[in-house]
Amino acid sequence: MGQKVELACIIDDDKIYVNLVKKIIEIKKLSNNLLIFKNGKEALDHFKLILENANEEILPDIIFLDINMPIMDGWEFLNEFIKIKNIFDKKITLYVVSSSIDPRDLERAKSFNLVTDYLIKPIELKKFEKIFHRNGHAAA
Amino acid sequence: MLNDIQLNSILEDFDIAYWKINLLNKEVSWSEHFNTLVGKPELSESNFDYFLKEILHSDYRYDFRIYFEKLTEENEAFSIEVKLKLSNGKYRWFECRNLINKDNNRKTAVLLFVNIHQSKRDQYTIEENFFYYHETAQMTNTGGWYIDIVNRNIYWDNVTKKIIDCPLDYQPPYEEHFKFYAPQEHATVMSAFEKCEKYGIPFKLELKMRNLYHKDFWICATGKPVYNEEQKIIGIRGVFQDINKQKINELNLQNSLDIIATQNSRLFNFAHIVSHSLRSHSSNLCLIAELLKEAKTDTDKVELIPNVTDISENLDSAINQLNEIVNKQTLLRKERRIISFEKALSGVMASTSSLINRENAKIVAEFHNLKEISYIPEYLESILLNLITNAIKYKHPGRKPVIFIQTYMKNETPFLEISDNGLGIDLDRYGDKMFGMYKTFHENLDSRGIGLFITKNQVETLGGSISVTSTIDVGTTFKIKF
Repeated sequence: MGQKVELACIIDDDKIYVNLVKKIIEIKKLSNNLLIFKNGKEALDHFKLILENANEEILPDIIFLDINMPIMDGWEFLNEFIKIKNIFDKKITLYVVSSSIDPRDLERAKSFNLVTDYLIKPIELKKFEKIFHRNGHAAA
Repeated sequence: MLNDIQLNSILEDFDIAYWKINLLNKEVSWSEHFNTLVGKPELSESNFDYFLKEILHSDYRYDFRIYFEKLTEENEAFSIEVKLKLSNGKYRWFECRNLINKDNNRKTAVLLFVNIHQSKRDQYTIEENFFYYHETAQMTNTGGWYIDIVNRNIYWDNVTKKIIDCPLDYQPPYEEHFKFYAPQEHATVMSAFEKCEKYGIPFKLELKMRNLYHKDFWICATGKPVYNEEQKIIGIRGVFQDINKQKINELNLQNSLDIIATQNSRLFNFAHIVSHSLRSHSSNLCLIAELLKEAKTDTDKVELIPNVTDISENLDSAINQLNEIVNKQTLLRKERRIISFEKALSGVMASTSSLINRENAKIVAEFHNLKEISYIPEYLESILLNLITNAIKYKHPGRKPVIFIQTYMKNETPFLEISDNGLGIDLDRYGDKMFGMYKTFHENLDSRGIGLFITKNQVETLGGSISVTSTIDVGTTFKIKF
C-alpha cells in the first residue's frame, strides 16, 4: 500500500469505543501514532500548546471528533477549533463521529466547512481503512 | 274664518279625508279627498255599505260597525286604526276618529281619516328592530352603556347590569366607574376612554371586568364617541359582551395546546435520546463483533472479552436510566395534594442521610414564609432530592457543603430556592445545556446527566419553571417558580 497516516487523533469520552478503535488501528496498522482525548477541552488545550510552541510536526493528519462529551462537547470544540485551524499550515482532515442518527446533528455537522464528513457509529472496519488510506501520505 | 273650500284644501294637504254623517238618517257623505282616495261606489249602493264591503279590510269590519253605532246612537268617541283599500288596490293604514262635537250639534257627526301608513310602518320597523336587538342582546349577553360626559352620568341597560351582576336599580357612580375593571386593566381602559373622549377614537377591547363582589370576568367592550350638533363630543356609548365562558375555554384550550406542544417536543427529544444512548452501546457491540472476526489468534480473541462485559453492563445501566425517566414521567397521573415543605425535606434527608453524613453536609431550611404547597408529593421530593444530591456531588473541594433552602411567595406565586457553596458552573458556556439530558460538566464519575433533566421536566409538567444562577468557586442557586 505504501500509504500510512502518521498521527491520528480521537476525541471521544466512550472508553470502550476508543479501546476498540485503538485495536483496529493496531491490527490494521493504519496509523503510526495515536492521540486520544476524552473531551473537547483536553484536545483544544493540546492544540493551543502546539500553537504556542510552533511545533507543527506533532499535529495529527486526521481527527475523529465525537459530539456528546462532558466539559466541552464536539460542537463547542468545532467553534473553538475554527479560530486556530487556519494558523496551522498542515492540512488536517476532521470527521465528526457520533452514534446520533438525529438529522439535526447531521445538518449541523455539515454546516461546518472544516468537517469533511459525518460518520455514524459503528464504523465498519473497511470504512476505517478507506478513510485512513485516503488521508495517508506516501511512505517516507 | 276659513270657508269650506279653504278647509278642504288644507285637510287634503295633510292627507286627511272625512265623512259627514247625518245622525238622523245615518246617511254618510264623503269628502272629495276621500272619494279620490278610495274611488266612488256604484250608484245603487250606499257609501256606508260600499265602504264596509269593498274599502275596509275585513279584519276591522266588526269593530268599525260597533264604533259607528256607538257614535251615531250614543255620541261616543270614535278612535280606531284601520286598513283601507285605496283605488290603486293597495291597503294603507288610516287612523279613524270623530271630530269632537263642541256645540252639541246632534244632527251631524264628522269622522276623520288620517293617513298614518308611514308612521305605522316606522313603528313596525322599530318594533321589529327592537325585537332583534333584544333577542341578540339576550343570546349573546351583550349590554349597552352610555357615558354622558356633559352631565357626568353613566347609563347601563338591563343586560349590562346583568353582566356586571348588580341590581336593576343600581346607579353606577360616574367618578368611580373604573372600579368595575380589574386593576391590571386600568391603564388600558383609561387610555381608551381618554382617547375616545378627547379625539373621538373608537375602541374595541378584550378586558377583565370586576363586579361589585370583586369577581373578575372577561368581556369584550366597544366604545364610540357621541357628537352634538356642533360636532363636540358629549358622550361615549358602546356595548359590553360577556365573553367569560368563551375566553376561559379559549385560555384553557391554549394552555392544553401549549402543554401538548411541549410534551410532544419532549417526546421527540426523548426518542432521539433513547436511540442515541442505546445506539452508542450497540455500535460498540458491532465493532467488537467485527474485531472478533478479524482476530487471528485465540489470545487476540480472549483479549476482547472484557470489552463485551463492559458493553453489556453499560447497556444495562443505560436501559435502567431510561426506565427511571419513564417511571418519573408516568407519575403525571398522580394528583396534587397539600404537602408541607418541612415534611418533604425530612423524607429526602432520611433517604440521603448516608451521603449527607459522609460529606458532612449542612442543610439549612427556612420555610416560615411559605410552609406548604399544593403539589404532587413524589415530584416535590424528587426535585429536592435531585437538587440536594447535586449540591453535594459538586461540592467545593476546600469546603464542607452547605445548602440553604427557602420558600416564599412573590406576586402571588410560590417560589423555592436552593443555594449551595459548591463548585459553581460557567453559565455563559453551559447555561443553555444545564437541563439537557446526558449533559455533564464536571469530570465526576457518578454524574449521569439526567438529574436536572428530570427536575426540569417535573417542574414544567406542573406549569412551573426553573432557573439557575451560579458563580464559579462560590456556588449555585436554583430557583423554582411553582
